[in-house]
Amino acid sequence: MSTRGRSELQINLATNIVIISMAMLFATLFMGYAIYRSSAPVWPPMGVQRVSLLLPSLSTVVLFISSFFCYQVSVSTKKNELSKGHKYLNLTILFGLGFMVLQGLLWNQMKSSGLFVSSGIFASITYAFTWIHFAHMVAGLVALLYLKKILKPETTNLMTKTTSVENFWYFLEIVWIIMFITLFVF
Amino acid sequence: MNLLKMGVSAGWLDYFRPPENISTTAHLIDDLFNYTTLMVTFYFILVCIGLFGFSYLYSRKRNKTPYYTYGNKKKHLIVTAFIGAAVFLSIDLNITRIANNDLVNTFWKFPDHKNEKVLRVEVMAQQWMWSFRYTGPDNEFGTADDIVTNNDLRVPVNTKVLFHLTAKDVIHSFFVPSVRLKVDTIPGRITRVWWEVTKPGKYDIACAEMCGTHHYLMKAGLTVYTEEDFNKWLASSSLIAANTNDPQDANLAWGWKWEE
Amino acid sequence: MSGGYNEIHPEPTTFWSKYIFSFDHKVIAKQFLWYGIFFLGVGGLMALLIRWTLANPGVPVPIIGNLLFSGSGGVVPPDTYAMLFTMHGTIMIFYAITPILIGAFGNYCIPLMIGARDMAFPLLNMLSFWFAFLSGVVLLISLIIPQGAAAGGWTSYPTLSTLIGSPGAGQTLWCLAIFIFGISSTMGAVNYVTTVITLRAPGMGYFDMPLTVWGLWLTAILNAIFVPVLGAGVILLILDRVFGTTFFLAGASATSGSGDPVLFQHVFWIFGHPEVYILILPAWGIVSDLLSFFSRKPAFGAKATALSMTSISVLSTVVYGHHMFTTQMSPLLTQSFMTLTMTISIPSAIFFANWLGTIWKGSIRFDSPMLFSLGVVFVFGLGGLTGLHLGTTTTDLFLHDTYFVVGHFHYTMAASVLLGGFAGIYFWFPKMFGRMMNEGLAKVHFWGTMIPLNGIFFGMLLVGYGGMHRRIYNPFIYESLQRLIPVNNLITTSAILMGAFQLVFVYNFIKSLMSGEKAVNNPWEVGTLEWTIPSPPPHHNYDIIPVVKCGPHELGNPNLKTGRDFQYQTEELVEA
Repeated sequence: MSTRGRSELQINLATNIVIISMAMLFATLFMGYAIYRSSAPVWPPMGVQRVSLLLPSLSTVVLFISSFFCYQVSVSTKKNELSKGHKYLNLTILFGLGFMVLQGLLWNQMKSSGLFVSSGIFASITYAFTWIHFAHMVAGLVALLYLKKILKPETTNLMTKTTSVENFWYFLEIVWIIMFITLFVF
Repeated sequence: MNLLKMGVSAGWLDYFRPPENISTTAHLIDDLFNYTTLMVTFYFILVCIGLFGFSYLYSRKRNKTPYYTYGNKKKHLIVTAFIGAAVFLSIDLNITRIANNDLVNTFWKFPDHKNEKVLRVEVMAQQWMWSFRYTGPDNEFGTADDIVTNNDLRVPVNTKVLFHLTAKDVIHSFFVPSVRLKVDTIPGRITRVWWEVTKPGKYDIACAEMCGTHHYLMKAGLTVYTEEDFNKWLASSSLIAANTNDPQDANLAWGWKWEE
Repeated sequence: MSGGYNEIHPEPTTFWSKYIFSFDHKVIAKQFLWYGIFFLGVGGLMALLIRWTLANPGVPVPIIGNLLFSGSGGVVPPDTYAMLFTMHGTIMIFYAITPILIGAFGNYCIPLMIGARDMAFPLLNMLSFWFAFLSGVVLLISLIIPQGAAAGGWTSYPTLSTLIGSPGAGQTLWCLAIFIFGISSTMGAVNYVTTVITLRAPGMGYFDMPLTVWGLWLTAILNAIFVPVLGAGVILLILDRVFGTTFFLAGASATSGSGDPVLFQHVFWIFGHPEVYILILPAWGIVSDLLSFFSRKPAFGAKATALSMTSISVLSTVVYGHHMFTTQMSPLLTQSFMTLTMTISIPSAIFFANWLGTIWKGSIRFDSPMLFSLGVVFVFGLGGLTGLHLGTTTTDLFLHDTYFVVGHFHYTMAASVLLGGFAGIYFWFPKMFGRMMNEGLAKVHFWGTMIPLNGIFFGMLLVGYGGMHRRIYNPFIYESLQRLIPVNNLITTSAILMGAFQLVFVYNFIKSLMSGEKAVNNPWEVGTLEWTIPSPPPHHNYDIIPVVKCGPHELGNPNLKTGRDFQYQTEELVEA
C-alpha cells in the first residue's frame, strides 16, 4: 500500500471533510439541547442541581494546555526540530489523557451527588454529550499516537499530516469549550 | 358523480375516488387534490408526448442523423427556463396559495367554545384503543360526570367538534378518512383538530401512525347523529356516568383540564 | 491539476488480497454489488410476504410459509408483519440501494471516468466495505434473536422505538447496525469527494465530468454532511434504550423524566430528506449520460443539468418538515416547509426538460440500458409529480401515512433507482466483466419489470387516495376499504409478476458471466474515459494517465473525420 505522491490537498480535504462530518453530529446534539432547554419552563429542571463547576473548569484548563502543546508541535515541525516536536507531542498526549481522567472523575462526582444517567433529561444531556465527546477524544488520541509514529524526517507530507492532526485536536477542543459553556456554565 | 357520492358502486370508477365526503371542509382538500392532479396530469402528458413521441420519431430507423447541439444556445436556455417557470407558477405557487388560505382561514381557525356552539371532546390514544371524553352537564373535563367511551365517537351533525388529543404511550394518529383530516397524538403533548360533519351515519376512524403489533386493529367507530338523537344519547350517557363512574377507576381518570 | 499520485498499490497475487481484502476500487465495487444484490433479494422477498398478507389475510404463504412461520400455520403473524415492513424499508434503503448505486457504481465508475488509477484512499475504501459488511451481519442477527427484529417502521419513531414500545434487543441492534453503516458511508463519502476534487485527469474540468460522476459526487457531499445527523439520532436512541437516558421518552411510562419524541422526527428527517436525494442522484446522473449516449448526441443542457442537480442537493436540506405536517409544528414552520418544498420543482423541471431535449432529434438505439433510462424518465416523472400532492400541507393532512405516500416514494425511490441501477448494470457489465449480457433477455427483463411495476405503485396511489392507511396488517376490517380489495389484489399480483421477472435478470447475469460474448473495449461506442481501455481494465486502469481534451458527450458531430460518430474525451474537440 503506497502513499507516495499523495498530495497535500488530498490530506487537507479528507481531514476537513471528517471534521465537518463530526461537527454535524455535534451540531445535531446541540440543536436538540437548544430545543429541550427552550421548551423547559425552568433550567435545570425542577429539583435538579447544577453540576459543580470545579471539575469541568479543570478539564477545560487541562485541555487548553494540551492544545497549546499541540500548537508547539506544529511550530517545531515547521522548523524541522523533530525531537522538540516529539517532546511537545508527549505533553499534548499527557494532558489529553489528563482531560480524559478528569472526565471520569466528573462522572463519578455526578453519580455520588445523585445525578445518575437515568435521572431525567438534564442528566441525559450532560452524560450523553460528554460521553460522545470522550469517544471522539479517543479517536483524537489515536490520531496523536499515529502522529508520534510518523514524526520522522523521512515521512512525506509531514507538515500537512501534522497540521491535520492538530486541526482535529483543536476541533475537539472547540467542541469541549462549547459544551463547557452551554452545559456547565450557563 | 352523484352515484359515487351516494356510495353506489360505479364499477372501476370506484377505485379512483376517495372515501365518502361528509364534512364541511373535506371539499377544500378534495378540490385542491383534483386541481393538483389536473395540473400534474397535464404536464405528465407533455412529458409522455415527448418521451413516447421522440422515441418514435427519432428512432435510429427513422432519423439517421442526430442533431448535434449542446442545448446551451440562448433559445434552448429560454425554453428550458420557461418550462421550469411554467411548472412553478402554474402548479406550485397556486397550490401553495390555496393550501395556505385553507390553513389560515379554515383548518387553523379553531372555534372558540366560549363564543359559539362547539362540542369539545378530549381524545386519548393508547396501544390499541381510542378513548373519547365528553364533559358532562357541568361542562368541565376531569369531573365525575364525564362521559368516557372507548372506540366509540358520537357527534351531532352540523355542529363544530373541537378535539384536544394526546397519547398515553407511543405516537398514534387520529385519522377520519371521510373528513379527510388526521392529526398525530403525541405522548406528553396536546394536539388539536376541529371539524364539522354534514351527514348522519356510521364511519371509520383509524390510527395512522405505526404504533405496534395491533396498530391495524385500532379502529374506532364514528357515529354521526342528528342533533336530537345526539342530545338524547348525551343525556342518557351522562346519567349513567354520574351513577356508575367510579372515581377510583384508572381507566376513567385520564382526562385533563381543558386549556385553549 | 492539483493531483494525487500515479503509483498505486501493487497488483495482488494471493486469493485473499485479490478477492477479499482488496485495495482495488474495481474489486471493492463488485463486493458492494454482490452485497447489494443479496440484500435486494432479501428485501424483495420481504415485500412479497407483505403483499401476500395484504391481499390474502389469514391465508398461509405458499411454498415457504410453513418453513418460515411454522408457529402460525404458514400465515404471517401480525408482529412478524411489522418486522417485515420495518426491515424491508431498512434493507432496501441502506443495504440494497446504497451499496449498489453508491458503493458499487460509485467505486467502479468514479476513478475510471475521471482517468484515475484508483480512489484517493484505497485502504479507507476497503474499510468502508468491511464496515458495511459488519453492519449487515448485525442487522441479520437481529432477525433471528428471540424477540425478533426492530418492528417500528424503518423510520423508527419514538416512543415506539424506545423500550416503551419495543422491548427486546432487535431495535437496539437496528440502531447499532445503522450507526456502523453510517461510519461506512462517511468513509466512502470522504473518499469520493476527495477523489473527484483531486484525481481528475489533466484537462478534465468539473463540467467535463460525466453526469454520472456529478450525481455520485453530490451524493457523497450530502452523505458526508447528513449521515452524522442520523448517527446522532440513533446514538441518543441507543442511550435511551440501554442507559436509561430520557431523550425521547414521554407520556405515562416516562417515569424517570421526559424528553421529546418529536425531536427524533426532526433529527431523522433532517437526515432523511437529503437521504432520498442521496439515493436518487446517482441514478439521475447515469440516466443523463445514457440518454445522450444512446441518442447519439450531446446531453442537452449538460451544464444546466449539473447545476440543477446541485441546487436540488442544496434545497433538499431545507424541506424536511414536509414529513411532519401532521405533528402540528408551528404555523410558521409548516408554511415555510411547504413553500420551500415547492421550489424543488424548478430544478427538477429543468433537468426533465433537458432529458427530453437530449432524445429530441436524436438517432435513438433502444438497447437495454436505454430502455431502462427511458423507463426512469417515465416513473420519476410520475412519482415526482405526486410529490406535489404531498408537499402541500392540506392535501397531506389526508394523504400522510396512507398508501399514496408509499406509492409516491416507491415510484421515485424504488422504481427510478431500480430502473436506473439496472440501466447501469447492463451498461457497465461489459466493462466490469469483459462479457456482454444477452440483449434479448435484457429486453424481456425490462418489460417484465416496467409493466408490473406500474401496476404495483399506481395501484398504491389509488388505494392511498381511497383512504387506506399504511403499515397495517389487515386493511379489510375497515368497511370503507373493502371496495379496494380488487386493487390490492392487482398490486400483489403485479408484485409477484415483477418478482418473477427478476429471475430473468439473475439468469442472464450468471449466464453472461460464465459464457457471455466477449466484450471489446468500447461495445457501446461512447467517448468517456473508461471505454478507452480494455474490458475488463487492467489492475492499474490506465497505462498512461489520459489527457482530456473534450467533454463526455461528444456524439453526433457531423464534422468528424474518423469514421466514428463520437469522439473520445482524449481527442481534440472538432469544431462543428
